[in-house]
Amino acid sequence: MKPTFYAVAAMAGAALLATTSVHAQAVDPALHDYKPASGVSGSIKSIGSDTLNNLMTLWAEGFNQMYPNVKIEIEGKGSSTAPPALIAGTAQFGPMSRPMKAAEIDQFEKKFGYKPSAVRSAVDSLAVFIHKDNPIKCLSLQQVDAIFSKTRKGGLDKDITTWGDLGLTGEWASKPISLYGRNSASGTYGYFKEEALFNGDYKDTVKEQPGSSTVVQGVASDKYAIGYSGVGYKTADVHAVPLSAKPGGTCYDASATNAYEGTYPIARFLYIYVNINPNEKIDPVRAEFIKYVYSKQGQTGVVKDGFYPIPKAIADQDLAAMKLN
Amino acid sequence: MSSLQDTVNPQDASSYDSAAGVHRREAVVYPAARGEPKLWSLGGTLAFGVLMITGFLILVLWNGIATFWPKPIAVVTLADGKIVAGEQTREELFKPTADQLAKLTPQLRAVIAKDDGYATRRLYRTGNFDFYGDDSKWVADYDVAKVDYPRDMVLAERREWGPFVGRLKAVVLDGVERPVTDPSEGWVRDALGQAQARLAQIRKLERDEIGGINHKLEQERLALRRVLLKSGADSAAYGEAQAKFAAREAELKKQYEALSAEAQALKGRNERDRIILTEVGGAEKSLPLSVIVRAYDANDIGLGAKLAVYGSRWAEFLTDEPREANTEGGVMPAIFGTFAMTVLLSLIVAPFGVLTALYLREYAKQGRIVAFVRISVNNLAGVPSIVYGVFGLGFFAYILGGSIDRLFFPEYLPNPTFGTGGLLWAALTLAIMTVPVVIVATEEALAAVPRSMREGSLACGASKWQTIRMIVLPRAMPGIMTGLILAMARGAGEVAPLMLVGVVKLAPELPIDGYFPFVHLERSFMHLGFHIFDVGFQSRNSEAGKPMVFVTTLLLIALIAIMNATAITIRNRLKKKFAGSQF
Repeated sequence: MKPTFYAVAAMAGAALLATTSVHAQAVDPALHDYKPASGVSGSIKSIGSDTLNNLMTLWAEGFNQMYPNVKIEIEGKGSSTAPPALIAGTAQFGPMSRPMKAAEIDQFEKKFGYKPSAVRSAVDSLAVFIHKDNPIKCLSLQQVDAIFSKTRKGGLDKDITTWGDLGLTGEWASKPISLYGRNSASGTYGYFKEEALFNGDYKDTVKEQPGSSTVVQGVASDKYAIGYSGVGYKTADVHAVPLSAKPGGTCYDASATNAYEGTYPIARFLYIYVNINPNEKIDPVRAEFIKYVYSKQGQTGVVKDGFYPIPKAIADQDLAAMKLN
Repeated sequence: MSSLQDTVNPQDASSYDSAAGVHRREAVVYPAARGEPKLWSLGGTLAFGVLMITGFLILVLWNGIATFWPKPIAVVTLADGKIVAGEQTREELFKPTADQLAKLTPQLRAVIAKDDGYATRRLYRTGNFDFYGDDSKWVADYDVAKVDYPRDMVLAERREWGPFVGRLKAVVLDGVERPVTDPSEGWVRDALGQAQARLAQIRKLERDEIGGINHKLEQERLALRRVLLKSGADSAAYGEAQAKFAAREAELKKQYEALSAEAQALKGRNERDRIILTEVGGAEKSLPLSVIVRAYDANDIGLGAKLAVYGSRWAEFLTDEPREANTEGGVMPAIFGTFAMTVLLSLIVAPFGVLTALYLREYAKQGRIVAFVRISVNNLAGVPSIVYGVFGLGFFAYILGGSIDRLFFPEYLPNPTFGTGGLLWAALTLAIMTVPVVIVATEEALAAVPRSMREGSLACGASKWQTIRMIVLPRAMPGIMTGLILAMARGAGEVAPLMLVGVVKLAPELPIDGYFPFVHLERSFMHLGFHIFDVGFQSRNSEAGKPMVFVTTLLLIALIAIMNATAITIRNRLKKKFAGSQF
């Protein structure tokens, strides 16, 4: 997963970097302007990621303005709920904050005879949040691993349980680190486990939260807390710690620039999975929705939700793969 | 025994009055005999309960009512020259870190040291998410050079990107730019009103007229698919249907083009009239007028204007659809969903529960089996509600709904119609959950009807069913209604099972609309309880979500109170009627 993200990001991200200065992250100006097609109606149901919940809602609202009669329903209880919903046919869209696992793709293929199509809809720097008063300036992934994991596959030999273990002094030195995380149905949980814990196991003391926003609220109200969730959920009460891939390496903050350049170690794509039969023509509602997501308007929604938009090159690749251009 | 320990031992109940020089016997009264000795505990429990409930209600009321009140906009100039403008939302004490202290002047450091190392900071809701990438900012008091409330500061609520805080520079009407700083000026308001009216017109055009065409087109497409499924792709019937579909599609497309052009013209008109705003940093933004929901000069409006803003915010909240992933706009679909589900739930649970109780109490032979059934019913009331949710999803939505889809709606597949959560399944699930309450209440009410009345009726020659219908049921009705009210209240406030069987984050389409069959029980719906959870714990900006949680809670409590009050009024009418017809 990781090489694909960085290869693509490095290839396509450069175009966006010029525009990242004052304003909130700007949308790739090369993306197409969405023009509504005629005769689109029907229903859209989306079941899946909680991280993408608000983003799906924003897209749905925008799409609804173009097609007032499309019925849209959105449910977001975790990425793991997306594959079963797609397989059972209870949803047409399955937003996921991690790529589908091989086992999930196999199950899908067993039922339909072809693989599900993935829409890479946005870029997220999975952020490690701390309370706004926390003076920590930089963490390496190995330290993050030792904070969250009991197996420490990152290679650090000592467990980290207090802020003093991370070099803080004064009142912080003896305070235990309070851990906030996501529940296991979440794609964020899976992705963090894979990338930041090096596939290790979470500590039992991690307080599992039902939503990304709840993690941020937990960290906001608990001075000695640390937690992870999508960067789009940041509030004024928390602070995203800059991360480095190796101990002692340069730390990069969770900004759009660092995500595109691939220097922020746990940036990722946010996906929407769709059941597209390669031998049949896709129905207009779903086709138009996917086109909308890749349009200027759709990617503006990404910015609105605090995530980072995808560049045109990726949009073109995915649209070509789905034969939608 | 312990109650006796603090009483006086009767043997020592005489005392020596030294002044009179006599022993005087005193009356011995056990506390248990003195009226109601534990009255204080009964009263205390009540007082505690009342205190907790009123405390909770006051918290919700205060926060809910204050949310929409327009607050002044502070313009804070920091010591380093930066400017922050926004509504102050919170303030708190904090301990600045050594790094932060090192940057301060010795005087400021001394002030902070005098306060035991604590300083104050304030959170300003700055808005302008499109400029700053966040919407609130903490400012420590020691960083502040000055705070003013300039009279020309404007808060503009937008349909996108949240509120704008800054100054009004100009309004462009028909290409002519007219400088203006006060959004309450007559012509600005008129222009805004016109833009809103055009927006409403576009909405109507799109939703009703174009929507109607889209609906027809969808019906044609489904009809074609029905033929395909019935007679196969190679049949003559399918070829014929295809030709018919093509003709009809072309015709509808033509109508669509005309309407769409009309809507586009209006949209173009709305794009032309613009408003130019400047943020405190000096950056300018030109927006179509129609994007502005309302704008007011927050530091310069009187009480009347504030009330008007307050009222219009409430009106929007109660009657509009949600915007910006449910964090703004209104909750009308959620109000409607909650109401529709509760009514449907009562319609299902009332006959079901009453009939069961009637059989159990009046007809069934009282014995072991009935006792067992009764215990089971009581136990059902104790099953966690999420279990009902799982049952509803598995049985109603997947098994029952899936079969309905295969039998009656094959042309929609693979898109589910009844095979997923929906209003009907949610109401049925909650009905099963609340039916024990109705059964128990009805049984009690039936048991309370005096035996002599039944016997009198039977003695007059009435059959058993006539007796039940004419004598027993009317007298038991108030009790049955009480059960129903309890069931309704529990159902309306329940969220956990609903999340599995039909409540979703966004479903702006109401279950009732102008298209056949008009009532769409298969649709997912929005619910106030879930909306509270969603806004409070799932929204992007949890800071901005908090006040909305209180407003929505207030609304949910009010809705349940209104529904209960209605049911109680009906019950009281019934009671009166019954009292009047007594011998």
